[in-house]
Amino acid sequence: MILHYLFRRLFLLAFVFVALTVFAFSLSYLFPGDVLSNFTGLRNISPADEVMLTRQLGLDQNYLQQYLLFVQRLLQGDWALSFSSQQNVLTEMLLVMPATLELAAYALFLSLLVGIPLGIVAAVRKDKWLDKLISSLALIGFSVPIFWWALLLIMVFSLSLGWLPTSGRLGVLYEIPTVTGFMLPDILLSEQSYRQQAFIDAIRHMLLPSVVLATYPTTVMIRFTRDSMLDVLEQNYIKTARAKGLTRLQVLYTHGLRNALLPVTRQVGLQFSTLITLAMITEVIFSWPGIGRWLIDSIYQRNFPAIQGGVLLVSSLVILVNMLTEIMHTLFNPLARKF
Amino acid sequence: MKKLRLYYEEHNKGPLKLLWKHFAPQHFAFFGLVLLIILLSLAVLTPFLTPHDPYLQNSQLLLVPPSWQDSGLVSYPLGTDDLGRDLMSRLMLGASYTFGLAILAVLGSLLVGLVLGALSGMSKGVKSSIFNHLLDLALTIPSLLLAIVIVAVLGPGLLNTIWAIMLALLPQFIHGVRNAIAQQLKQDYVTAYRLDGANQRQLLFSVILPNTWEQLVLMGTMALSTAVLDIAALGFLGIGAQSPTAEWGAMIADSLDSIYLAPWTVALPGLLIFVTVLAVNLVGDGLRVAMKKRREN
Amino acid sequence: MNIYQRLTFVCLTALLTHACQPDRNNPGGTGLVYCVEGSPESFNPQLVTSGTTIDAISQHLYDRLLDINAQTGELLPALASSWQISSDGLSYRFQLRENVAFHHTDYFKPSRPLNAEDVVFTFNRILLPEHPFHQTATEYPYFDSMEWRQLVAEVKAISAYEVEFRLNKPDSSFLSTLATDFAAVLSAEYGAKLQAENKLPDLDHLPVGTGPFLFRHYQKDVLIRYYRHPQHWRQGSNLQQLVIDIVPDSTKRVAKLLTHECDVAPIPRLAELQLLSKRQDFVVDVQTSMNVGYWAFNTQKPPLNNVKVRQALALAVNKQNILQAVYFGQAEQADSLLPPNSWAYQKPQLTQSYDPQKARALLAEAGFAKGFSLDIWAMPVQRLYNPNALKMAELMQADLARIGVKARIVSYEWNTFRRKLTQAEHDSVLIGWSADNADPDNFLRPLLSCAAAVSGSNRANWCDEHFDALLQQAVNTADLNERRSFYLQAQQYQAQQMPLMPIAHSKRFQVRSSNISGVAINPYGGVNFAMAGKH
Repeated sequence: MILHYLFRRLFLLAFVFVALTVFAFSLSYLFPGDVLSNFTGLRNISPADEVMLTRQLGLDQNYLQQYLLFVQRLLQGDWALSFSSQQNVLTEMLLVMPATLELAAYALFLSLLVGIPLGIVAAVRKDKWLDKLISSLALIGFSVPIFWWALLLIMVFSLSLGWLPTSGRLGVLYEIPTVTGFMLPDILLSEQSYRQQAFIDAIRHMLLPSVVLATYPTTVMIRFTRDSMLDVLEQNYIKTARAKGLTRLQVLYTHGLRNALLPVTRQVGLQFSTLITLAMITEVIFSWPGIGRWLIDSIYQRNFPAIQGGVLLVSSLVILVNMLTEIMHTLFNPLARKF
Repeated sequence: MKKLRLYYEEHNKGPLKLLWKHFAPQHFAFFGLVLLIILLSLAVLTPFLTPHDPYLQNSQLLLVPPSWQDSGLVSYPLGTDDLGRDLMSRLMLGASYTFGLAILAVLGSLLVGLVLGALSGMSKGVKSSIFNHLLDLALTIPSLLLAIVIVAVLGPGLLNTIWAIMLALLPQFIHGVRNAIAQQLKQDYVTAYRLDGANQRQLLFSVILPNTWEQLVLMGTMALSTAVLDIAALGFLGIGAQSPTAEWGAMIADSLDSIYLAPWTVALPGLLIFVTVLAVNLVGDGLRVAMKKRREN
Repeated sequence: MNIYQRLTFVCLTALLTHACQPDRNNPGGTGLVYCVEGSPESFNPQLVTSGTTIDAISQHLYDRLLDINAQTGELLPALASSWQISSDGLSYRFQLRENVAFHHTDYFKPSRPLNAEDVVFTFNRILLPEHPFHQTATEYPYFDSMEWRQLVAEVKAISAYEVEFRLNKPDSSFLSTLATDFAAVLSAEYGAKLQAENKLPDLDHLPVGTGPFLFRHYQKDVLIRYYRHPQHWRQGSNLQQLVIDIVPDSTKRVAKLLTHECDVAPIPRLAELQLLSKRQDFVVDVQTSMNVGYWAFNTQKPPLNNVKVRQALALAVNKQNILQAVYFGQAEQADSLLPPNSWAYQKPQLTQSYDPQKARALLAEAGFAKGFSLDIWAMPVQRLYNPNALKMAELMQADLARIGVKARIVSYEWNTFRRKLTQAEHDSVLIGWSADNADPDNFLRPLLSCAAAVSGSNRANWCDEHFDALLQQAVNTADLNERRSFYLQAQQYQAQQMPLMPIAHSKRFQVRSSNISGVAINPYGGVNFAMAGKH
């Protein structure tokens, strides 16, 4: 049964990727400018090269052939060149991706760390002042425009108080060789004498962007955990457990939490898409060298191959993460199994 | 003359009245509603209300602080920006861009979503299944990414942003409408109506839709807060509304240059976005609570 | 696991007690962060004209034969310890300093100090098409605009430490050219190595020079990392590291200054100067500068090929407004291309003042009584000569509307912008020029000569025989008074023909943390950290 379910998911995934690549493929035609340039990322193509490239990309054949060749190039890692740097878009993105993932991971971690306990507290203290306070804070966090929030935090913590730096991942005077692309592991792996200072510096750089990025998901977590917890607490088995003489805490821990947190795991996957969206804005404001800033820069540069590649990679990632959490959720939660 | 009652009649309030009965006592939600009404009238009436021309530059009055500060002027209550334009007029006009256009985008998207959602909700089979999977795909793509693609194809600009946001909102509406319809189809009164011989069309228009509109409104408010935030975010990133358009997000981006000298030029538009979204969310939350309470009674 | 626990502990304590700001500017020695507004286009100054690139590379990596005294404009010995000019003005001989070491880097280990061969290699690259490296670059914009290939007949080594330049005709601006940041001296030995390895383009990407700092690492749009050149021939800086941090956004640049993430920043943003100069921990350096911000009309495109239209447009713009709103009063109104501190400057008789009435009349004479629509290209970056072109364009848009000209503001990302500009797709453009030396020729020739129209720095695409002749006559004579009179005529002719409208001459500002000393900025662009120190 499980195999059948997984097989169906896999089939769906394949279908979704086909749809996505068709979409990306059609972008080359939809974007302004020369189709051949959009496909290859080359500019000022000479007539001789044009003939050769047209043959190579199959642009003289029908769309299906072109699409198949396009997918073939994607799979071989032979993506288009970026207009601005004339480098393979995939290589460039793989360089900037870790920064985004790192930031998103910290933010997600932060939002779980803060959001779930607050949500539980709010649910347990339903309609008391603590619940009202937490819910109001959640609503405020839910409504605040992230770019404005980021500017406020910079104004207060960087410019007025001078506690935290405003941009980048690490003070520029620290020279840390890139191994994994993730800053903290890289610092620990490096052999510089100032490793310890660098580590602290990296954390100071990370603090504001992570908090900004975590704000929205945290509020979602609070609201979601609270609702889910309230649902569970109204269930009969909770009442039964209480009736059997278990203390509030015991009931909460052994019966309430587990059942309430199951839907929350699903939420983690859904939040990933939001995180990536918000990361784009956060990265622009904090000059964080991740894929979001890279994509926004590509727009300013009218760098079509880069936009195409970015959309493809980011969407694939989001879909993959979503699918994975859904599968995990299904496997762990018997109620969600409808095989 | 008092009406004669022949037999006992249970006094049932209409559902709308009931909803209001549960909504009005929630102070915050009520406050949000008042704010929304003010913003809405501002969005519509702005052209007749602004004290100054929002685009008129005045090189004699650059970065005048708000009037509560010592060097402020009474005729410019919120001060001027770095080109000497009246900030208050610009902020008022911004209501019709950021908030007004967000409403239009949500309405447009909702309408299309309703049609497609109804089609998908009422149909079954492989076609519907493929459609649903495509929808799930679209739901997972971040809205900003979708907007970026659309802006890349069409070029930056406020109008293109609106298209992008409409498109980005569409999947969730279709999804919501489809689910709402599916829920309705399970109800006993739907079956009863069917047994009466109603066809699909009659079913949809006389039973299902009237019973889902509240959910639609709820979805609409949630989408509205997203739309306002997205319009502002795209404006801020410089790929939405272009300067000198008095859109709140673009105004923040424009004023970033003077953030040290004139922090209010950044703070005020942001505050307005925040208040708008907060008001929308308050109303949305209030509606949800009211609906839940009504169901419980 | 222990080390991680300890690290976490240290971090937490450090974060909680914010007073414990780690000495982040001092990792393993002394380092300085210089925040600039853009990425360099190349690491070889021969190939560029942009002031941003020059600031980021030239004085750090390279030395020149001569230097300029920033105060007096007088020429000083640098790599050349002495020089002689023949009486006919056609031959220049330079005696080179001995024991000048080239950079020792990961990609090149020099085996010998600088000698005459390097100088010949450097300048022949520009002059000789058969030079192995000549073809790797499409143009040498500064030298092309100075018409160097017509000017210089030959560069040859007389002995190991003596070089001779032979000119085709006398040129009184020749020595000044050699002292500009563009005339950096490269290594012939490195060239030979690259040739052998068939990696010709590396000459301009992985630089080797004799300057006070050597190249370590470059990440586009992020940073350039330089290390100190330990064998530099001048006693110099105690800095171990110089990082050029690329921060295009001026608001962010100021923010980074305030948080001390930047030690030194050139800020064309004048709005915050007062704010910064009030604080104890910053010093604002002011230097008069040789630059001009202007509005160039593409004179090849109708209706801008009509003099009257150009004059009308120039009359319609209120420069005083611009000076207030864009330069915050920190610039002088420009009446001529030459700034008032140039020796050839004289206030032209035909000064343009703001006069929309007259502008409308002129437009009507030209047959555009109803106005027309016009694109104003505003550069997307901040430069000394124009701190905010978009804002300037918005102001002009409102001014032009008054004479019925409907202006559309166009802007692209900077690289795209310049490419399209070179292809002359613009109607008019807001841009500017920073001089490279004290010679007036350095303004007029690169901006308005026919040669510059070909090489691309003449944004007006204006080619006028009379104007070119005036410039030529001016450099043919060594007599200062005679030269001045030619330049005066040229300026007046320009003011009357109005291929471009000069807007402002800005001062040059630089903000540094007060613990930094010895940073030299000069009026001819470029910034030098050779003597910089940190306390």
